[in-house]
Amino acid sequence: MDYVLLAVVLFLAGFGLLMVYSASSYEAGIDFGDSAYYLKRQGFSTVLGFIAMFFVSKINYKVWQRFDVAALLVSVALIFLLLTPLGVTKNGATRWLDLKIGLTLQPAEVAKIGIIIYLASIIQRLEERGKNIIRTPKGVAIIMVPPTIVAGLIYIISDNLSSAIIVMGIAVAMLFVAVPDYKWFVLLGAAAVAGVILVVVIATSGDAEGGTFRMARIRAWLDPEAYSTDRAFQTIQALYAIGSGGIWGKGLGQSMQKRNFLPEAQNDMIFSIICEELGLFGAMTVILLFVVLIWSCMVIANKTSDRFGSLLVVGVMAHYAIQVILNIAVVTNSIPNTGITLPFISYGGSAILFLLSEIGIVLNISKKCK
Amino acid sequence: MAVKAAGKRQNTRTAVKRRNVRTNKIRRFDQQRVKTMKLAAMMMIILLAFSGLSYRLYTITRDNNAEYQKRILSQQRYDSTTLPFKRGTITDRNGTILAVSEKVYNVILDCKVMLDDEKNQEPTVSALAECFGLSSSELNSYIQENPNSQYYVLKKRITYDEMSPFLERQSTYNAETAKYNAKAKKEEKRGVISGVWFEEEYIRRYPNNALACDVIGFTGTDNNGTYGLEEYYNDTLNGTNGREYGYLNEDATLERTTVAAVDGNSLVSTMDANIQAICEKYLKQFSDEHTNEAREGLGFENAGIIAMNPNNGEILAMASYPNFDLNNPKDLSAYYTQEQIDAMNEEDTYYDALNKLWRNFCISDTYEPGSTAKSLTLAAGLESGKIIGNESYECGGSLTVADHDISCNVKQGHGTLDVAGALEQSCNVAFMKMGEAIGVKNTVKFENIFNIGLKTNIDLAGEARTASLVYSEDTMGPAELATCSFGQGFNVTMIEMACAFSSIINGGYYYEPHMVSKITNSSGSVVKNIEPRVIKQTISNTTSEQMRNYLYLTVAEGTGKSARPAGYAIGGKTGTAEMVPRDHKNYVVSFIGFAPADDPQIVIYCVIDRPNVADQPHATYATGIVKSVLTEVLPYMHIATTEEMTIAEQEEMDHLLENMINAGKESAENAENGDGEAGNGGENSSNENGENGSDEGSENKNGENGSNENGENGSDEGDNANSAPRYTVDPNTGELIDTETGEPAQVQSSFENGNGDNTDNTGNSDNSGNSDTANSPTGSN
Repeated sequence: MDYVLLAVVLFLAGFGLLMVYSASSYEAGIDFGDSAYYLKRQGFSTVLGFIAMFFVSKINYKVWQRFDVAALLVSVALIFLLLTPLGVTKNGATRWLDLKIGLTLQPAEVAKIGIIIYLASIIQRLEERGKNIIRTPKGVAIIMVPPTIVAGLIYIISDNLSSAIIVMGIAVAMLFVAVPDYKWFVLLGAAAVAGVILVVVIATSGDAEGGTFRMARIRAWLDPEAYSTDRAFQTIQALYAIGSGGIWGKGLGQSMQKRNFLPEAQNDMIFSIICEELGLFGAMTVILLFVVLIWSCMVIANKTSDRFGSLLVVGVMAHYAIQVILNIAVVTNSIPNTGITLPFISYGGSAILFLLSEIGIVLNISKKCK
Repeated sequence: MAVKAAGKRQNTRTAVKRRNVRTNKIRRFDQQRVKTMKLAAMMMIILLAFSGLSYRLYTITRDNNAEYQKRILSQQRYDSTTLPFKRGTITDRNGTILAVSEKVYNVILDCKVMLDDEKNQEPTVSALAECFGLSSSELNSYIQENPNSQYYVLKKRITYDEMSPFLERQSTYNAETAKYNAKAKKEEKRGVISGVWFEEEYIRRYPNNALACDVIGFTGTDNNGTYGLEEYYNDTLNGTNGREYGYLNEDATLERTTVAAVDGNSLVSTMDANIQAICEKYLKQFSDEHTNEAREGLGFENAGIIAMNPNNGEILAMASYPNFDLNNPKDLSAYYTQEQIDAMNEEDTYYDALNKLWRNFCISDTYEPGSTAKSLTLAAGLESGKIIGNESYECGGSLTVADHDISCNVKQGHGTLDVAGALEQSCNVAFMKMGEAIGVKNTVKFENIFNIGLKTNIDLAGEARTASLVYSEDTMGPAELATCSFGQGFNVTMIEMACAFSSIINGGYYYEPHMVSKITNSSGSVVKNIEPRVIKQTISNTTSEQMRNYLYLTVAEGTGKSARPAGYAIGGKTGTAEMVPRDHKNYVVSFIGFAPADDPQIVIYCVIDRPNVADQPHATYATGIVKSVLTEVLPYMHIATTEEMTIAEQEEMDHLLENMINAGKESAENAENGDGEAGNGGENSSNENGENGSDEGSENKNGENGSNENGENGSDEGDNANSAPRYTVDPNTGELIDTETGEPAQVQSSFENGNGDNTDNTGNSDNSGNSDTANSPTGSN
């Protein structure tokens, strides 16, 4: 078993709880009269997540291949359940399911792990038939169409672009590792860059009032100072937090931005609070821990001779990497603002539960490889 | 599963077919090697991304560290809010409020806060419109145009009572809405009332409007007193503003602290608002009677009355006219037409006119005292031994001094006069001869002793300095000596004369005059008691007694007769001073007196500057006012009558009474003397043979004791008879109360028969049973 991975995950989850408390205690004290309100809830989810991780790490990962299509169907079904009265709406978007036992579940989180299992399984199965099947257009279609549908559903039904991007990113990353080609991915990357440029041009050429909500976000991204009182308020305040932290930060718990200026700082913007309180040093340490985590995953994926297990680890690794990179990119205003949480650290019950379950899978795989 | 199996089979078949076709096209590859390469490539991309982000973090910190720290600090709320202090209250000796600061509120709309949720606009605007009578359409259009406005004053200086309906509405409405919103869906949620707050401020209010305006002075919202007590005691009355502010502690975290305001100290004046009101009433009455009589304008150019206690220097009243409303001091409309005011605005004389109105005639204006100064001359002569009292003077109508023919007030001359007669008849010739006897040296010396030419240091702003307006030994020649002896040629202020005169009749003690007896802090405890302060002994007790006698005779038998109120023995001296240029046109007429004659409790000095009459040089204009004032004030002060009244006086008194009663019936603002005078008369006669002889065995002592006895016996009627008139003053607001309706009465003209009000602390209060009989004599003890 990979104890480095386990230690890093334990540390990140513990550090996450600490930062959730630091970032949320002020607001929680005002809103709920209990400064540990978010800490308690997140603590409960984290404990639940570690229990899940423990059990999952005991289960032979090969079992999951049996549920490949089921995982996909369950993901899709859960997303459709959002349309029923079970869907919980917060801040204008229906992203949660009420489990009626005092807990909520985010189908997008289920979908991510579902897609990982499905893709790992289907790639392995296709390669069993012939190593090059996945390189044919039909093979690519078999691999890529389900995640595209799932991502589309996530985007349409739960209005959650970031989760849709992550699902697609995981799929592309797994396909990338599975096939020997580079050309197509380079072209895809070039096309993506061209698309981004096109969108930016459209966003900036249109008159200021026109365009959709996301177009406005893009404009706010390009010129945050101009929108500092409305759309880019959060971005600007996050930048203030990062910039003001300096090298060593203001000290744990000393953030001023979490008071009134970065609302719900325990969510997407928690990294900016880390920067403010612990400085560049703290931020780099966190990034380094994620690098170690991803590196460990890469090593496990490389060592695992089993194709299914190896691809599972690649999926999980891609999941972490994409989410961490996008989160930090949003916080530093490197990309337009879209709601992406920082794995293990941001507040979110479903997220920590499934992230730790994924770690359980990776740990189980790591036992099998030498 | 069947479908899936079928699909798989098909897939497999297809795949096999394709493989056969494409095997030559696609190179076979080593899966493990490809995986390692790809993972490495992926890791490279990831590490590249992390490096890029780390660099971005680094540049943000490097380039903006100081700048963003500043921005963060600057967007924190340290805005300090000033908590205003409350300026001290000014009350009269009985606790009547003369000046008070009231907390008022400005209604401020913060559009930005309100528009946090656009649904808030409708309930907020409708609440504002209904509670404050504002126009909803105007409000809405303002909000539309200025959605980011954070400080928009909707209404200024409303009282707490005007504000509280809004607060109640806000709390009930918001509570209901919160209850409703808890169940409602997002789209159906309702807005709340928000974004409205109230800024505290104090305004200065003068519940008695014009009463004692020159003495009190006024204060704007800046807490800066102008004129009178408000200016003199400005620092005492002011407190220190409090502050609520945020600051960064040593860990650079924001703390908020409140430093409470320290309210100012309050003044208790020696003034008696009732005596003040009486004085002002008769000044105004005189003015009204003589307005436009001989010339355009008020009944005189200026007029003032000072009433003080000669035994401790406390000023009981200091009235002057024309007066102004302290709540609206810049309003000249009472004395000028709008055209005149417009003209003054153009000529920049508006403030000159205002300053003329605001200045306190009694302490700021100087004039030649005229014959009232003869009392000082005589006292100086007696004290210096130059006049013994048995001299006699021949008056032939004029006297030639240093080649000037100086005429007497009676052209044909007074004939032979003794010292008392000279004062009684106010003979200029006799006094010029006295002056000659006293000599320049002693005259100047005693002027100095009587503080003429020096400030009295009364605790009011704006006292005039008259040092340059009196003669010194060097400048005083025989002619000046002669005119000075009868009060011409040098200038005084009213307060100078009143204080000097007080020392002549009180046994020779010169008290520093003062308007304030006590300074209390905001919680009511005494900070400072201002005790009577004897500055010097001006004349001996014996001389003083002699002077009292001479002055008594002057009123009893001489020129001052018309100043005597019925039933009382008083002393005093008239004065008629010709103004410069000496063309026999303009005069300052005056009377200075004291009562009772044998035991002075009050000194009263009335000066009328250029009465608006065809024939000015008659002191009767002043004595008439003094008589009217004393007629009301002496009973009010519990000074019993000592003299029998003639039938004519009785009739006159009854007539006066009736006028007052009628006036009282006509409007609540007019007061009445009630049964006071008649009651006193009756009581006095019944007590005259009372057993309580004092040392001096004077009748009024008997009277007083008699009334005390009655009081002890619980006979309210007797006491009431003695102490009427009575004033009904609300102790909280200081406003006079109409006892019939309970509504605040107009204050300007003083008082009414206080049947049944308990607030007058000068007399017994529980006399409500008397209301039926109050208008008839009740002194039946």
